[in-house]
Parts: sequence; structure tokens; C-alpha cells
Amino acid sequence: MGAVPKTNTARIDAAGNEEQSMAFIGKNVPAQNSPALVAGAGLYTGDVKLDRMSYAHVVRSPYAAAHIRAIDATAALAVPGVIAVVTGEDLRAKGYAMPVEGFGEGVRPKPFDLYPLAVDRVRYAGEGVAAVVAEDPYTAKQASLLVDVDYEESDPVVDAERGLEPGSPLVEPSWGSNVLFEARMSSGDATRIIAAAAHTVGGELHHHRYTGAAMEPRAYVADYDPYRRTLSFWASTQCPHPMRTLLGQTLHLPENDIRVIQPNVGGAFGLKIPYFQEEALIAALSLACGRPVRWIAERREDLLTGGHAREGHFRWQAAFEPDGRVTALKVRYVADVGAPSALAGWGQSYVTGFALPTCYKIRDTDVEVIAVTTHKCAWNAYRGFGKESASWLMDRVMDAVARETGLDSATVRLRNFIQPEEFPYPQNGGAIIDSGNYPQALKRVLEMIDYANFPKIKAEARAQGRYIGLGLGQELTPEGCSIAGTARFNGWDGATVRIGPSGEVTVLTGVTSPGTGNETALAQIAADRLGIDLAQVKVIQGDTSICPYGLGNFSSRGVIIGGAAVHVAAGELREKLLKVAGNMLEVDPGDLECENGKIMLKGAPFRYVDTKDVVTKIYADCHGAAACGVEPGLEATRYFRHDNVYHQPETQGRYSAYPSWANQATALIAEVDPETGLIKILRYCAVHDSGKVINPLTAEGNVHGGTAQGIGGALYEQLVYDDYGQLTTTTFMDYTLPTAMEIPHIELEHQETPSPFSPLGAKGVGESGITSPLGALCGAVEDALRDFDARIDRLPLSPERVWKAIHAREARA
Amino acid sequence: MIAGEFEYFAPKTLPEALRLLNERGNDCKLLAGGMTLVPIMTLGLAQPAAVISLNHLPGLDAVEDVGSALRLGAMMRHAAIAVHPLVLQHAPLLAAAARAIGDVQVRHRGTLGGSLAHAEPAADYLCATATLAARFQLQKEGRERWLDATEFFVDVMTTALEPDELLTAVEIPKQAAGSGHAHQSLRRVEGAFPIVLASAQIAPRYTAARIGLGGVGPRPVVLDVGDLVQGGVTPAALEGVGARAFDAAAQALSDLNGSGEYRRAMARVYARRALEEAAAALGAGGSR
Repeated sequence: MGAVPKTNTARIDAAGNEEQSMAFIGKNVPAQNSPALVAGAGLYTGDVKLDRMSYAHVVRSPYAAAHIRAIDATAALAVPGVIAVVTGEDLRAKGYAMPVEGFGEGVRPKPFDLYPLAVDRVRYAGEGVAAVVAEDPYTAKQASLLVDVDYEESDPVVDAERGLEPGSPLVEPSWGSNVLFEARMSSGDATRIIAAAAHTVGGELHHHRYTGAAMEPRAYVADYDPYRRTLSFWASTQCPHPMRTLLGQTLHLPENDIRVIQPNVGGAFGLKIPYFQEEALIAALSLACGRPVRWIAERREDLLTGGHAREGHFRWQAAFEPDGRVTALKVRYVADVGAPSALAGWGQSYVTGFALPTCYKIRDTDVEVIAVTTHKCAWNAYRGFGKESASWLMDRVMDAVARETGLDSATVRLRNFIQPEEFPYPQNGGAIIDSGNYPQALKRVLEMIDYANFPKIKAEARAQGRYIGLGLGQELTPEGCSIAGTARFNGWDGATVRIGPSGEVTVLTGVTSPGTGNETALAQIAADRLGIDLAQVKVIQGDTSICPYGLGNFSSRGVIIGGAAVHVAAGELREKLLKVAGNMLEVDPGDLECENGKIMLKGAPFRYVDTKDVVTKIYADCHGAAACGVEPGLEATRYFRHDNVYHQPETQGRYSAYPSWANQATALIAEVDPETGLIKILRYCAVHDSGKVINPLTAEGNVHGGTAQGIGGALYEQLVYDDYGQLTTTTFMDYTLPTAMEIPHIELEHQETPSPFSPLGAKGVGESGITSPLGALCGAVEDALRDFDARIDRLPLSPERVWKAIHAREARA
Repeated sequence: MIAGEFEYFAPKTLPEALRLLNERGNDCKLLAGGMTLVPIMTLGLAQPAAVISLNHLPGLDAVEDVGSALRLGAMMRHAAIAVHPLVLQHAPLLAAAARAIGDVQVRHRGTLGGSLAHAEPAADYLCATATLAARFQLQKEGRERWLDATEFFVDVMTTALEPDELLTAVEIPKQAAGSGHAHQSLRRVEGAFPIVLASAQIAPRYTAARIGLGGVGPRPVVLDVGDLVQGGVTPAALEGVGARAFDAAAQALSDLNGSGEYRRAMARVYARRALEEAAAALGAGGSR
């Protein structure tokens, strides 16, 4: 791979080396928005009330694959209170095609047409074919039952592998196959090494389809004003500015006539990244009716059409030495990404391949990714964004090598890790992994769980007839993605910092919060940069008419990119304050520091001015001696681009979209009831490393949430389609989510290995924790069931699946 | 959100409710706690022209001591049954079943009669009331009748209730002091609907023993296992009870949460476990 190339941007400043107040960074500051959210006083899209509001309901296809022969809306239009019925053909006639750019340069789907409602044919059960707008939501829903759609059903593609077979029905007939995207990422010659190796192991691994289940389903209010020709759009979204761009392109409106507002969001997890058909649809309906239109997804609609994730099949082979070192790895990954869409979710299949072989140093790797389109709901981004599948695969590879060599799983991992002194490390997929100390994190978590004593504990339990096992999960979570050729997923963002005449500070950001508390971390960063009290800082996010253009919230970028932009913008104001304070104190500004609302001489804190007095000088005395040398005003808008991204392979020797690599070592002990297959987690220990932690309290909250979702995915959650392409899990009766009772106490420690590439050394934390339960639970269950030689190669670990794994050996015998 | 208009009635007396039911029986639904009716109406699986709420009827939410039995009003909420002193004293198995249902919110809304009339085969009450040899009071205008569990539960989500009939009360024979009971279930997560469940009720000195199974067929299955436990709950007795449960579960159906094969195997496991737990509680007094 060669040496780490020079990057194309200058460092802003050295990681954490610059002297500044650290009164709030690194402290447990409760999230500023929490009191309102916990009290039920959050303001969500569903709380938006407008005069003349009308309500939309979507008529959805009952078939996975069908030709639309005709739509007759006569009966629906006759219902009193119905304002309009709109079909896909109506929207096509207006030219409302949705832009499909995929996941950026080199990661694009084959071309296809997409409209806010299906035109000519439906591509998954639940796809919208018409929409009813009415004076109240009940009438809209009732009238939608009267829209008569004449379908001609056809055979759906419901299995990716079968979709690749010749003669399979096609989701997009013009493509000639069901391959939406494929990529091969090779380094060295894995095929040759595996063929010649003395020791090899391989297998298959199946990740099932599931998704995040936000408490708040998708919700939009669109208000087109036909006189001013402006569109206001309230959305439960993660990305207001990109949404504005997309709506403008679809509806042929100038972007500055559109205002997108993100009220509080009741959970997003990547699944509220644009661009859903309903987003374009609700705006189009408001344009058509000249009235505000509201739509809130029902739970069934959200499970049916709100974006799915995962569902992929690995076939892998590895060569290894008797000491446990893996020398080559070959992977073929077939992902079932659902129907073609304007969502970027299918890009997860690419990221799975890109992230391999995660934390490990394996010289020769050959990774093939095939994203297959099927007649199912499209993938959208879901926390983990494909990295979870990569880390899960590597956990299974390491456990398999441990089994083959007779070594323990921790030893095998330790012998394969990238070593701490090898960072920044050029990984096979093209990435430069910024920093890490995997051995230290794993060793610490082994101490926490008393790994050395576990064989004894296990033997004691076994003597009592109990089956307990220990499993390890090693997750690597590349964050802050910057994809070439897409303004939706680029690696920059902006912040405005404004100090008002009373000394209060307003921070406006392009990044947004899905309810996880990044506003608090951003306030901490601004407060410390300016040396003022946190209570003086207010953060405003999610309104395109007042916030700087920014890309919103995805890939854990709120702090690493948004926080860095705040740091830089606040730094510009800090310089101005120090300059004026220097004039007031008649000292060199370079000798000043700010802290506690004062600007003082370093080493002589009794020589100070109140920061507020400096602000007053700038506002009230712009021609005076102290402030006449600086530009008036106290407002700075600055943009930040993360270093450690490589988009110029011809000069940089690589393409890498991910600058920041958080990681976690997890060890858990689980008990399996051998009679029923039920699993109970007895202990859960983790050491998490996301570099410098800005707010340990909210960081832990993120890890806890991710962990719960990871456990949910490993044990309970599953979206099940039948052979006809019907989703059978459309309520929470059937889509089983874990409750607080199933989630164990999480014993969590932080290890801080700062990133050398970001101003504060911080890495992303938004997706942490979701990955390691997968591998750790598989490992623990196999360990607990060693007597039965049970093998786990498929999730979720439902009681019946585990029970069958226990009985598989009897069945074979 | 429920689409479509329907008439809504909230009768204040039982005769008024029965009269409405007589008039509208075929096109109406009864609303008790709404824990089943509201979701199925939201999903469009039921679109009744009228809904008759039972929530304003007096006297259907009490426990009455009728000598050898307790008579529970059909509108009793699970949370009330779970802690009622008479239920805990004389039919603690029913309290245990009530405690196992759903979550706190469901237990405060859902009712005994609503769950029984819906007759989902894996519901906690079906298994428990069948095990306890409960009797069911059905009323319509001008008629009252009492059915036992084998008569009342007909098929998957089907009871003997006629369209104009209302389940008004459930009578549970008092269990002797010192009896043992247990109610066990296999669920994916806390609060989820059971996959397989087993209730056990053992009389003092093993003079009688019954096991109820749910989720293993279209109706609750009750096994009289008194003959197997005469000598106490020995390993042989457990094996015998398990085998009988396995045989009784031959009709177990498959769904997302478990195949028929798995449910059948779990019938064996849970019958044994319920019996063991009930035996351990023998002589320990009323509540568990």
C-alpha cells in the first residue's frame, strides 16, 4: 500500500495542543434539549398546525410486482371532503422526476426513472400508486380505499441469489439483470495464497433484514404559497439543506423559494436521510392543491416503506498459520438491497466491502460486493451503514480460526490486530485508519469481564446444569464519510457563531440533531473556545432559512465535522476579542487567554477585562481606540473539511471516503437455556474509543442506544417477506423489539486515542455500539453450546434457531 | 388511525347494552379495553358499522364471592385481577396469568372478557381459565347461559358467543388452601405475546392436578395429570406429563415465532416446568 500520502488540506491546528479553556469539553454535561423531550414538550412535525391544513393518505400497492393498467378515482373524488386524488401519471406529466445520484462517484446505480408515486408498474408491496388529499385525515384514509387500481400481477424477485440466476424476473427490465451495483476490492493475491495454504477455513454467513424503529414515524407538512410562490416544508428528516436541494430539483422551484424546517425528530438512525418518495410527494401535493398538506406515516406504512437495511449473504474463505495469523481472506457478499430508490441505503453494501478487513492486518484480501435489486422495500441508511456487517464477518472469521487452531478467540484477535504504532494505517480498501489501540482496548475489556477466570466460572455453571458462554465483538466504525461527486454526502459542513451585544452566543449549524444531544457538544465546544459559560450559548439547527448551508446529520458527523466548524468559527471571534482586549489592557493579544468570561494575561490573571466589556467595546465603540482596528460585528461563518479523505487517486494513490475510525472491544457472557434456546445476557462489558470525548454522558447515551439496537438485531428484530413479496411483519406484534428488560447493564469504559486529523482529536460516536453485539452474541452462544458443537451462521438468534442448532448434531447423527 | 365512520354507543345499563346488541349484533363490535379491537380496526381488518362500548356498564368490574367460586365481571382489568385479594386467595393462578399479560399500559386497559372473547389461542387467560375449569356467563336479551371452557372455546379466535351475546362474567372454582399453581410462558421479549404457555394447578396432597397448555393448537388444551402425580412430582411423573403434553400438542401451528415442531417440543418443556413450580408452591398458601 505504501506510505501515507500528503493530504490536500492544511491542518487547522494540532489535535488538542492549542491552549484553550477546557471547562466544558470532556465533562458530563446533561443534554440541553433533554428536559423538554423527556417532559413530552418536544415540538415535532406532527405538532405543526396551519390554517387550511389538508391531509394526505397514500394508496399503496398490495402487490410486490405489478403493471398498473388503470386507476379510477371517481368514487374517491365523490366523497365529501376530498380535495384531490393524484396519481403517478399526473406527477410524471408535470415532470416531477426524482433525482437519483446514488452514493456518489463510482458508487452509482444503473439509471432508472423514479417518481413520487409509481408510474406504469409497482416495484414493491406498499409502493404508493396514488394519493388522496382531504379536509381531514379520516376522510383521506377512507376515500383512499375507494381508489380503484387495476393491477396486472407478475412474479416478484424476493431472493437476491435467485435474482442473479438467468431467467429470473427483472425489477428494472432495461438493466438486463438484477445487479444494481457491483464492486471488487482486491489487495494482493488472496486466491493464490488460499489455494497454496496449508490451513484454510471458510463458511457462509447470513445477515437478515431489519431496520431501526424510530418512535416518531416519518412526518411531513408542506405549505406552498401560490401568491409568493414559496414552499415551506417541515420534515422529520436528518438533512434539511439537501432536502431543499432535492425538492427544488424535483419540483422545478428555485432553492431560495424553499424553506425546510426540521422540528424535533423522534429518532432517525440514518433512516430519515432523504430522499423518500413521500417527501417529494407531499410537497408536490401542496403545489397541486395550493394548500398546506400534512402526512404522518402509520407504523404499518413505516415498516412497509420507511427504509430497510441489512440482508446480505457472505461466502468467505481464509488462509491462516498455526499461530492464528490470518494471511489471506476472500469474500463474496451478495446484498439484497430491495427496489431501486433515491435513498442511499444500498451504498451500505459498498461500505461493507470497503471496511474489510476492519481492525486486522491481512495483506491479501479479495472482496467482491454484488448489490442485487429485488421487489422489496429499498434499503435506507441504518446505524452501522454496512460497517456492522464487515465487523461481524471478521468476528466470525476470528472465531473460526480460533476453533481450527485450538487457540482462544482473544489470542487470535491480538495476533491479527493492526498495532498501535502502525497508525495512520493504510487499510486494504483504500482507507487511512487515523488512530487506534485495539490491543489495549481488548486487553482491558478482558480484565473487566475476568476473562482469565471464565473457564472456571463456566465449568462451575456447567456442573449446575447451566450453559454459559463468553463471546467477543470487535467493532470498527469508520465515520464522517465524504463521498466524491455528491453534495449530499460530502465531508464538509458550516457553522455560524454570533456574539450579541449582551454577550450571549448563538451558534447556527449545518449539522442537525436527531435527538441524540449533539447540540450540547457543539455548545461545549463554542463555550470553551470563547472561555465563557455554557449557559450563554444557544445552538440553533435545522432551518434552511437561518442556518448556514450544511449537509445535516449522517455518518456520526455532528461533532467531528460540525463541531470542528464551530471550533473554527468561534476561534475567529476569539481572535477578534483577544485583539480588542489586548488594546484595552495594552498587552500583546498573543499573551492573553480567555476563561470564565474573562480575558486575562497568561500568568497574571489579575490583569483582565470581562469578555462582556470587550463585546460592548466592539458594538458600542467601533470608532474608539480599542476597536477601531478590527472589523465591526461579532459574527463568523466558517466551513470545515476533514483531512484524511482521499478523492484524488491519481495523485494520492487511493480513494477513501472515511476520515475517522471509532472502535470498540466488547466481551459478554450469555446463558443459553438448552431446552428452549432462549438467550439471556448476564454481563456486557465494552471499551469504546472515539478519540477525545466531548461529552461522556451523551457519548455513553449513544453507545447504549446503539448497543440496544445491536442486541435487537442479533436476537429479535426481523423483517420477513413471504414468497409473494408480502411483508409479514408490519406491526410491533410481529416485529419484535427488545425492551428495557432484555438490555443488560452495560459496563462501559472509554479509551481515548485522539485522531491526529481533527482539531479536537474527536471521532464520531453516533453509530458506536450497534456492531459488536452481533459477533459477541454469536461467539457466546457457540461457546455456551460447545458440548453440542452448535454453529451459528445466521441471525437473528431466535429461540427456535438456537434450539435447532443444539439439536442439529442429533439430527446429523 | 381508523378510517371510516361508525356509530358509537356507550350504554349505561346492561339491558340497554343487550338491546343494542340484539339490534346491531351482526354489524357491530364490542369495545372493552380496546387492546385488540383498536389495532385491528386501525389495520382495516375489522370495519364495523357500530361500536358499543362496555366501559360505562356498572357492576361488570367486580369480584363476587359466590360460595364455592369467585365470579369475576368481564370488564375487570388485568391490573385489578393481578392484585385482587379474593383472586390471590382463591384463584392465584388467574392473578399470575393477569400479571403476565403485555405491559403496564395494556394491563390497565385490557379486560378479562375482551381477551377471552377474542380467543387468541396463546392468550394467558385462555390457558389459565381452562386449567381452572372456569365457567363463562353469556347473556343476550331474554337469555342467560353458562358454558364451560370446552364449550366456550371453539377454534382459533372463535368462541361460542353468538353475535347478539355478551360475555358478562367468569366463574372460577375456589382452589383449596395450600394448593400449588404456576403460570409459565415462552415469550421473545418481556410483554410480547406468548409463543407457548403452560398453567398448572395442583390440589393439596396431590389429590388432583391439571395442566393447561396454550399456543399449541386452536384451543387451550387441558391435561388431567392427577394419575401421574399421585406419588408426587417425581422425575418419572415429569417425564410422563411431558410426554402427554407433547402428544396433546400435535396440532400446534407454525408462525413467525415458532414452527409447529418447536411449539410441540416446548409444550413438553413448559408442562414439566409449570408442574415443578406448582409442586414447589404446594402448601405455601395462596399467592405465589
